[in-house]
Parts: sequence; C-alpha cells; structure tokens
Amino acid sequence: MYVTVRVEVEKCSGCKLCIVSCPDPNVLAFIPEAKHVVVNEHRCKGCGLCATVCPEEALTVSGN
Amino acid sequence: MSTKIITPVAEFAELLPQEYKDLVARGPHGGRRSVRDLGTFKEIVDEHPHCAGCGVALAVRLLAAALPSPADTLIVGTPGCSFFSLVQTALNYSNTAFGNQNAVAAGLKRMLAIRFPQVHKDVVVVAGDGGIADIGLDMTLHSWFRREKITTVMLDNEVYANTGGQESGMSRLGRVLNMAPRGKLFPKIPVFELAKVSGCVYGARVTVAGPYRLGRVVRNAVLLARELGPTYVQVYAPCPTNMKFPPDQTLKAAKEAEKDHYSFEEFMSTEAAEYLARLKTAPEEREEAPEPAKP
Ligand SMILES: Cc1ncc(C[n+]2csc(CCOP(=O)(O)OP(=O)(O)O)c2C)c(N)n1
Ligand code: SF4
Ligand code: SF4
Ligand SMILES: [Mg+2]
Repeated sequence: MYVTVRVEVEKCSGCKLCIVSCPDPNVLAFIPEAKHVVVNEHRCKGCGLCATVCPEEALTVSGN
Repeated sequence: MSTKIITPVAEFAELLPQEYKDLVARGPHGGRRSVRDLGTFKEIVDEHPHCAGCGVALAVRLLAAALPSPADTLIVGTPGCSFFSLVQTALNYSNTAFGNQNAVAAGLKRMLAIRFPQVHKDVVVVAGDGGIADIGLDMTLHSWFRREKITTVMLDNEVYANTGGQESGMSRLGRVLNMAPRGKLFPKIPVFELAKVSGCVYGARVTVAGPYRLGRVVRNAVLLARELGPTYVQVYAPCPTNMKFPPDQTLKAAKEAEKDHYSFEEFMSTEAAEYLARLKTAPEEREEAPEPAKP
C-alpha cells in the first residue's frame, strides 16, 4: 500500500480499540507479550479510522 | 468451531495459499471467539476490495467475529457492497437474485433442520438496505410473518452504494445522492418498527461505532433465532464514497447518527428476554468491554 498507518509502540497502551475499528481484516494485531499492536502495512488501506479512536495518539497515517 | 471442514488433505496442504494455512493453524477454532478477541487470531474474513474506511466492511468483519458457531453458519447475501467481503469469508455463503435473500434463507433453514436434526445450523441473511427495504421487502416481511427461524442483518448505508449512488427506501428525507439529484422525497422506511410488529422475537438497532455492542446483538440474534423465531439487526454502516466524506470520518458519522436517528434500540419477546437472562449467567459469556470513546 502507498499509504499506511504507523504505530508508535512506546505510546500504545494495548487497549485494542483500533483493532475493532478497522474495516480491513488481519491488518492490526495485538502482541500479548509486548502488550501493544502492530500493523501489517501490506494490508492497510490508510483510511485512518484506527487513528481517530486511539486515545494515546499512537497511530499516524503516512505515505511511504 | 471444528477445524474438520477446513483441514486440507495432505496432498493439498502445501499448495494452499498462506492465508489458508494461517486459517487452519490459528483461525477462530477450538474455543469461543468474539469481537473482543480480534487481533489475536486469523480472522475468517480475508483481504477484500471495499473502499478504504468502508462502514459495510467493518460491519461484516465484526459480524463474522461475533457468530456463535461459524462452522455451522450459512450466510445468505444478495447483490450490494457487502458481497465484496462476504465472498472473502471462510464461511458457507450463498448469494441470491437481488431481493430474494429471505425466501432463500428460509428454505435453506428448513432443509438444514431436516438434514441435520442434531446440529444447530444458523442461517443469517446479511444484505444492504436496498436489498432488504426495497426489492426484498416482501420476502423479508413474509419470512417474519411465517416465523422462520433465521436472522436478518441489514447493513444500512442509506444508499445503493454498489451501483453508484441511487436512493434507497432507507435513504434519509431530502438526501441528495449521485443519482438522486432532487433529494429523497420521502422518509426512511421504518423496517425496524415493521420487525417489531411482524413476528421478530428480537431486534436491535446499532452502528459500527459500537463494535462490542454490535457483536453482542448479532450473537443474541443468532442464538435466539435458533430457539424462538426470526430476529433482526439493523446496522448503520456509513459509506464514505457515496456520502462524500473522508474515509477517516466513518466512525464519526456513525457516532453522530447515534445521537440522532440511529440511537441504540433493542426489543425482545418475553421468551427471548428469559433466554438471554439464562445465557448471561453462563460462564462463557464474558463481560463486555467499554466502547471506543473517540471520535
Ligand atoms: C434484480 C436486480 N436488480 C438490480 C440489480 C443491480 N444492483 C446491484 S447492487 C444494487 C443496490 C444495492 O444496494 P444496497 O442493497 O443498499 O447495498 P449497498 O451496495 O449499498 O451495500 C442494485 C440495484 C441486481 N443485481 N439485480
Ligand atoms: S488506516 Fe484504516 S486500514 Fe489501516 S490499520 Fe487503520 S483502520 Fe485499518
Ligand atoms: S461504495 Fe461505499 S459501501 Fe461500497 S465498498 Fe465503497 S465505501 Fe463501502
Ligand atoms: Mg446500501
């Protein structure tokens, strides 16, 4: 994808709100050991919905 | 969910795409999964061609995660944007001629009840507002009048999105659309109210801005349809492409609608209420998580 969301893992609290707000499956995943989310950049469409619900402002959509 | 129906024979195991292997290895099997568990297992929906920020796609994803027995569920759809993701699910799925979904679903439900008397086979209609409220309205209502034990889920984006923006019976009064330049001339068809008086034992009106609630009502609806009769869930699933807002505003649009014409509402028969009360005390029914506060 040309546009994708990036996760600042230090900011992520692991609340998983982004995961239930993304229209695309298997894009955001939760890593239980590290307690933060990761993004599959190849699957992200860059819509930005996850960023609008993140209480920690840990997600930003950027071009690459 | 049993992995039996998806486990490939040895000869095929290596030939299948990675997504399929992932589904077998870490799909939603062996243990109940819900919306809460998304992001920790391979989902039964796979990559789909919905527009970025599509509310319908989000609704399908949440619904798929909320099904109580995905391996024993048959989804019945009809033309509309929802089939972009429904065809990408590892679920039994059948499309129908536009508008025929509730008639086909009712027939399949009866047939499955005869063929598999020992197993609950859940039949769930998932279709757009045009498919349900316009061309399929008679078959939807008649399935309710006949008390068919199926669940109907309307993914309401208030437009015929798939065909470029014609007005649907569920479009709002005055709404201007690509192919409705004068604006809609009459208000939304009250399908939710019709469900109440037409035989549905349970109904819920939700939006995609409340993912846990959406999951809970879908689960309620499917379980109650097994036992008692027809159930209906109406989901507001905004379409950024036709409503011409940026794709990151879908949840904001849904939240705003919750304060207006899409407030949460639920109705149920006495028997349905008793059934759900019994279910609540079951240990596997965990507490609901709080909904996202923003946007
Ligand atoms: C009998 C018939 N008439 C018309 C169509 C064309 N058609 C395909 S999808 C659609 C509208 C779908 O609108 P809706 O049910 O609201 O779903 P959405 O695309 O908005 O999700 C129409 C009219 C068709 N496929 N079959
Ligand atoms: S930007 Fe959109 S597609 Fe990408 S992870 Fe966020 S919600 Fe999902
Ligand atoms: S046109 Fe609208 S409903 Fe259809 S896929 Fe695009 S955003 Fe979703
Ligand atoms: Mg529609």
